[in-house]
Amino acid sequence: MSSDRKDEEMICGLTADERELLQTELKGLPDAMPPRAVWQRIREQAEAEGLIRRAPMRRPMTWHGGVGLAAAVALAAVLVPVMIDTPEPGGVTEPPLSAPSNTTQVNALQALMVESRQLESDLRSLPQQPRVRQAGTVATLSEIEDRIAAIDYQLNDPAVQMTAEEEQIFWRERVRLMKLLVGLRYAQAQRTAY
Amino acid sequence: MSKFADIQIDPAIVKRAARGDVRAHEIIYRAFAAPVYSLSLRFTRVPAQAEDLVQDTFIEIMRSISKFRGEAALGSWIRRIAVSKALMFLRSAWTARGQSLADDWNDVTPGDVASHGVSSHPDMALDLDAALANLPSVSRTVVWLHDVEGFTHKEIAALMGRTESFSKSQLSRAYQRLRPMLAASGDEVDGAGAAVRGC
Repeated sequence: MSSDRKDEEMICGLTADERELLQTELKGLPDAMPPRAVWQRIREQAEAEGLIRRAPMRRPMTWHGGVGLAAAVALAAVLVPVMIDTPEPGGVTEPPLSAPSNTTQVNALQALMVESRQLESDLRSLPQQPRVRQAGTVATLSEIEDRIAAIDYQLNDPAVQMTAEEEQIFWRERVRLMKLLVGLRYAQAQRTAY
Repeated sequence: MSKFADIQIDPAIVKRAARGDVRAHEIIYRAFAAPVYSLSLRFTRVPAQAEDLVQDTFIEIMRSISKFRGEAALGSWIRRIAVSKALMFLRSAWTARGQSLADDWNDVTPGDVASHGVSSHPDMALDLDAALANLPSVSRTVVWLHDVEGFTHKEIAALMGRTESFSKSQLSRAYQRLRPMLAASGDEVDGAGAAVRGC
């Protein structure tokens, strides 16, 4: 903040400290989600105006697509416990990316699925949320969970068709949000511990 | 920093939204619905009106997202649309009530805001919300745009079709109303700070 701006702010009846406190508190006020019906109304209006395309029907899954998905799930089942449980000799921690050599052979989509699963596991390993929580944190956590749920809905809806590229976009976003969620929950757990 | 600016969306999702993909639009909606609704609710105070503003805002986003070039952050662009829709609504409400922007203060009952004493931060958040809600809509809007969303007086003046002095005056009057709350939490303010100057 420039000194000019600071001076300008001070001419409105508050001291600099009062002003800072007020701004901090205002920015900390929790957000609220609109009722769920609002999205439905938006979607109906957008469809009526031709602003959005209806999601196409999903193609029946091809045999190689099924094998790919099964491979990703199997790989996740094998890799995740290995990455979590294997003790590091001498206390040396290796970055997860350098773990098993066959990780490099899986495609980007499968890697995202594995990472997502790893993050789910990290989240479960954190302590339960404390009973007394900051309203702002609760609102943020619930907002992120809502966004993840929306992505899961899209990924699991049998009525929609997605290319591998599209699926990758959604999975990448899911991983990003999961990282945010784990980070926030970890910070919350740290705060509770002290 | 505004909450809008904290929200990141994968550019690939924005591109898909520009092509009218409903799934991409739903992801953008889930990401920004809360800040848009909260901003609308703080401006209007009426949930049903805030919901209508959320609808107007996201329909406008759908209409215009193909023109979004990514030069500014998506959050800033969406915030601009939300603010514009909310101010348009407020202008129409003010017009319908036959009021000018300036005499909005006549609606306020003296003491409404000052009666909200505070002693701790969680309580203060509740009281601040109530105190803010009790400000006249113009002042509340100016406070929110200036102190939370980071708009300058010049930008606020342009948005409201008024002068910078008008924006400063509204802010000053709002601060006078909110100041008792801050005084009540004075122990938490580190030191007395700078002397108070008049506007």
